[in-house]
Amino acid sequence: MQGYRKYFTKKLVWFLITFIVAVTLNFILPRLMPADPVSAITGKLAAGNSDAKAVQKIYDRYAEEFGTNKPMWQQYLLFIKNMFRGDFGTSFSQYPRKVSNIIASAIWWTVCLQLPAILVGWILGNVLGALAAYLRKGWDKVLLPITIFLSNVPAFGMAVTLLVLFAIKWKIAPVAGGYAFDQIPNFSWAFIKSVITHYQLPFWSIVIISIGGQAIGMRSMSIYELNADYVKYARFLGVKDRKIVGYVFRNAMLPQITGLALSIGTMIGGALVAEIIFSYPGLGSTMYAAVTAADYPLISATTLIITIMVLIVTLLLDIIYGFIDPRVKAAQFDS
Amino acid sequence: MAKKMLEVRELTTKYITRFHEDVYAVDHVSLSIEEGKSLGIAGESGCGKSTLALSLMGYYFPPLHYTSGDIIIDGTNISGMNPDDVRKNILGTEIAYIPQAAMNALNPTQKIMKFVEDVINAHDPKMPKNDIHDMAYKRFELLGLPKEALEKHAVELSGGMKQRVVIAISTILSPKVLIADEPSSALDVTSQKMVIKMLRDMMESGMIKSMIFITHELPLLYNVTDDIMVMYAGQIVERGTAKEMVFDPIHPYSKGLMGSIIVPEEGTRDKVLTAIPGTPPNLKNPPKGCRFAPRCKYATPTCSAMSIETKEFGEGRNYRCLMSVRKIREVYESEQQ
Repeated sequence: MQGYRKYFTKKLVWFLITFIVAVTLNFILPRLMPADPVSAITGKLAAGNSDAKAVQKIYDRYAEEFGTNKPMWQQYLLFIKNMFRGDFGTSFSQYPRKVSNIIASAIWWTVCLQLPAILVGWILGNVLGALAAYLRKGWDKVLLPITIFLSNVPAFGMAVTLLVLFAIKWKIAPVAGGYAFDQIPNFSWAFIKSVITHYQLPFWSIVIISIGGQAIGMRSMSIYELNADYVKYARFLGVKDRKIVGYVFRNAMLPQITGLALSIGTMIGGALVAEIIFSYPGLGSTMYAAVTAADYPLISATTLIITIMVLIVTLLLDIIYGFIDPRVKAAQFDS
Repeated sequence: MAKKMLEVRELTTKYITRFHEDVYAVDHVSLSIEEGKSLGIAGESGCGKSTLALSLMGYYFPPLHYTSGDIIIDGTNISGMNPDDVRKNILGTEIAYIPQAAMNALNPTQKIMKFVEDVINAHDPKMPKNDIHDMAYKRFELLGLPKEALEKHAVELSGGMKQRVVIAISTILSPKVLIADEPSSALDVTSQKMVIKMLRDMMESGMIKSMIFITHELPLLYNVTDDIMVMYAGQIVERGTAKEMVFDPIHPYSKGLMGSIIVPEEGTRDKVLTAIPGTPPNLKNPPKGCRFAPRCKYATPTCSAMSIETKEFGEGRNYRCLMSVRKIREVYESEQQ
């Protein structure tokens, strides 16, 4: 047990170091972009105003509010301090909305779109891979190649194809948005129905692409496990085939869990293409808009969310693996 | 005469390769073991030893296929039986198997006890868990294995312990015939000794009624089994008692095999070791006539021309060679001088 605790203390220390580095980069990188967002806002507000003094005043006023007139290190400390309070400042591009407010309204769209899509793609892919390995024949020779072909279509290609076919040509799905433009978010049936119809295309564009990759991994792992010595031994002791198939697929699943966890961790980045093409009101579109407008606070906040999610997922993976795979547990004890 | 535990008549099995070629790795093999006896099977790698071990269980998976012959365990002919009946009523209870690679023989993500449950439930689905646990604990105690091993995963056990645990699981239903395929080949000498002692004790206590021990290490066979059979290219070339086979081999291949090892007996220690020239034949198209002829220094053109029958001589001894026993002995003697 002591080895276990030591292992996780070490993991936690690394977790913190990675976190600090990531937060620092989150702060620095957007600020290296060659644009001055304050001038952009000033330019917008002072359009047509030829009084240089007045324009300067407006500029100073916003520089003061956003803190961009302070030295970099002071901005950094302020950023850290506010981060722990959950305050990421005011958005430049959507002034005067608070960053935390923008994220709060966008994040659920992303989670509700991505999480089911990732899970469905993962489950379908693994089932298909397992069947291809165990039953071979049509599963292996027809269905698997088709899904692999589909998963190699780039994400934007898949999204645009679905959009053109279903929304424009056949007109059976809406073109864009998370809900119809004439709706206001509420719990009425009309709104929920509108959300569901808008959901289909982005959802399937993500699912279809992820099936093939999962299936091919699961297939080769299953074939490897099916030929393992323990399978042969169990068979020769008369253990039922159903039980043995259970051993095989449980073991073949183990590496697949890493894949699942990582795609959940990188969910927001992964949503980018589908969200942008379908103008889905999630974090992906928000991040894209933030980047194009050099909106530092919003970029920092969204990338920080990605960082934290990946970090937490990898830490959880380490802990979970210790429980589900005794080989990993033994290695953790040894280290 | 003691009761025959296992009798195999003219058993032939083949591998069907990916290119649909037939490879007869076990070719008309006949053998028998009486109650309380053990039989060693020796041969070079690729001679069909392990395939014979798998074929004896009457339970076949591609690419291995049954072709012909009978396997009779304690009076019951299991060849031609429905595979699911073999699985339920024969494997583990009548005939059991210890695999070549015990290191990987256990599911890495399963506790040993859980696997024991699955094994026993496969034969007796109604046996309650508590009874299975009691049975497993008792058996482990009897075999001098730590009970805690049952609560562990395979990775937590040492190599030697894993091998002994595998032996304990294989024999938990007290099979009539135990087939041990190189059970000690991957172990260090100490663990090897423990494994051999364990198998011997099980024979003596009647936990297992007979045993087939397969290995390429002849000195081991001499110490472990009553009889030895030498296999070459899918066929049995000679059979005799351990002592006869080591000190008076008849078939030129057995002679060569014994000449290439050290037997820890006085007078043989300082013997010069000689290897058999050449390699075993490809079983996709084995040589006609005597399969050893291409490597045999006594071979004549007739050896490759006609099929060689197994000849019996003495009690329970047989060999497969064109030369007579007297002629062979004369040749060997003249060579020594």
